[in-house]
Amino acid sequence: MEKRVIKKDALAGIIKKMAENMVVYAPVRDEDNVLFTVLEEEMEPLLEFDNTKNAPKNFFFPQTEVMMRYMKTERGRELSTVEGEATPAVLFGVRPCDARSFVLLDNVFNDPKYKDPYYIDRREKTTIVSLACVQPPYTTCFCTSVDGHPFSAEGADVLLVDLGDTYLAEFVTPKGEELLKKMGDLPAADEALEAKKEKLSDAAGKAVNGVVPGRAIKSWMDENFEHPFWDTIHQSCLACGTCTYLCPTCHCFDITDEIKKEDGRRIRSWDSCMSWLFTMETSGHNPRPSQKQRWRQRAMHKFKYFVDNYDAIACVGCGRCVMYCPVNIDIRKIVTDISNL
Amino acid sequence: MENIEKQVREQAKKLLADGTVDIVVGYEKGTLPFQTIPCFITNPDDAERLVWNRFCSVNLAKYVHDIIFAHKASQVRTKPEERTKKTVGIVARGCTTRSLVIHLQEKQYDRDQVVIIGVPCTGYIANKKLSMAVNGAEITTCTVAGDALSVETKGGKRDITVNEVLADSCLTCRFNNPVISDVMIGDAAPPMPDGEKEYNAVDAFEELPIDERWAYFTKEMAKCIRCYACRNTCPSCYCKVCFVEQSQPRWVGAGIDESDTQVFQFMRMFHMVGRCVDCGSCVEVCPMGVDLRKFLKKLDKDDLQLFNHRAGESLESAPSLSVHRENDKEEFIFEP
Repeated sequence: MEKRVIKKDALAGIIKKMAENMVVYAPVRDEDNVLFTVLEEEMEPLLEFDNTKNAPKNFFFPQTEVMMRYMKTERGRELSTVEGEATPAVLFGVRPCDARSFVLLDNVFNDPKYKDPYYIDRREKTTIVSLACVQPPYTTCFCTSVDGHPFSAEGADVLLVDLGDTYLAEFVTPKGEELLKKMGDLPAADEALEAKKEKLSDAAGKAVNGVVPGRAIKSWMDENFEHPFWDTIHQSCLACGTCTYLCPTCHCFDITDEIKKEDGRRIRSWDSCMSWLFTMETSGHNPRPSQKQRWRQRAMHKFKYFVDNYDAIACVGCGRCVMYCPVNIDIRKIVTDISNL
Repeated sequence: MENIEKQVREQAKKLLADGTVDIVVGYEKGTLPFQTIPCFITNPDDAERLVWNRFCSVNLAKYVHDIIFAHKASQVRTKPEERTKKTVGIVARGCTTRSLVIHLQEKQYDRDQVVIIGVPCTGYIANKKLSMAVNGAEITTCTVAGDALSVETKGGKRDITVNEVLADSCLTCRFNNPVISDVMIGDAAPPMPDGEKEYNAVDAFEELPIDERWAYFTKEMAKCIRCYACRNTCPSCYCKVCFVEQSQPRWVGAGIDESDTQVFQFMRMFHMVGRCVDCGSCVEVCPMGVDLRKFLKKLDKDDLQLFNHRAGESLESAPSLSVHRENDKEEFIFEP
């Protein structure tokens, strides 16, 4: 693994230079929000920020994407695919929790049996540059409770660590090493810097405030599908999609056809288990008829079903759902309450 | 305020204990320092969980509708003579009572199904304004003493006055005391500071050229992620199936196409004419900070100027679009 040093004041310039020749997604201030967006010429990438409001999953699994087009012509019906249209890109400034979310999503979209060409295409052509959390940004962070770490390189191609006046850049994967060639001459890192990183890493891990028994509740969930506890969390829920849409790992989708005169397109859009339409069948029957069942689905999917299927919790502990839930339904509390039952 | 909280608890306890209500909807302490959670009390002993403070933000009237309708739905297979009615107690400030008035005017449930514990209100703290006051830094503790607010972030401590961070809809509120109630708690609250400036922002917006207004609308709507938090928290949005989710015909696309998002937002707003009580809940719950109020307030102003009507002001004054008068003005139709 290549380890290099980047001067602090040089990093923004390197990113902007990269953005001249390829698509770069970076966190940018947009009025009151910090959002991942395509870096345009006049935009300044943020290097000092807590985390973005939107999760970066949108770049591999967009909120809306066209899967195919169809049209009526004189020769009959014609179909066209839209696969393989992704362009090489760099996703810069991803927090380690969010970078881990891609590894979790790979389980779903790049399963040995089911391959999602749209997701895989973008994923393969995008290089991910992570920014380690030297100080965990929020008190609502709980990555270490769900198998993550503020310095985790999982899911990253390049991991940047802020050492004060320089960044230590670790080029973790071959894709990351390819990117190194585009970053110009960077001096190699010495052992002292690595030791410094290890020290910061230990401290950051300990500084993560939230401790929830993420793994421990699985056995309770295995046995308690009908437990009265499930009657206690959903009542205040507005059934909006804030938690699922801001979540880096939520990946349920819906497929609809949109037709304008002779042209049609089949689109895939994010679905949300919080919506009453979720799993609604054409007959009008819904196996999850109330918010209670839908909330149980959300909790079970993250902490049981995903663990059953892939031996991983479908939560990276970023805390977005905790911070932005309009009625303060707190997944940390739900998990902790379950562990105390 | 502590005194009001104490009396709210006592009233809730009494109403539950003597069987006047089946459930009380109020607020309880949240897990974040600046949040409360809507809570639902059925056991008189749990009334102690109820709180009343400047962080009680979302309009609770929505839950009254939800509870009564869920109960109704659960009884479809019960013989008509055996069906029961659900009576809901609610901790309600001015705007909440106005929403309840709209439900009653629109015959959603009977007056005897809701028992209103009216509380005087001095406004709630808007999360977004609070966050902006500390430049978006995470708030670790937040305490209110009268009109002084002490906020702690990683960057240090800041003292601000409550008025700086009150919701915009609270600052210009003319109905901070309940318009109807069954039990009133405390003395009436004094008028809010900017009542006279209620439409100032709308007036200024109206002065802008049409392309600038359109640019502002499209810019704000581009932030929307279609999570529907605004619609779902709105007590006046109670349609069983919203037009956005209807599929025969499909009025709005499921994706985030710009025009679909705009259509969702302005169609919802048009449904709010004479029905929006300016409680600010849609603004408060929006995760992306879309300025919905600017447009809703314009409709509110039109409603007042053209029909001399204010949403939910009294049981007698029905929403403008639900009444027909032969002498209705109509010039406005031709002058956008």
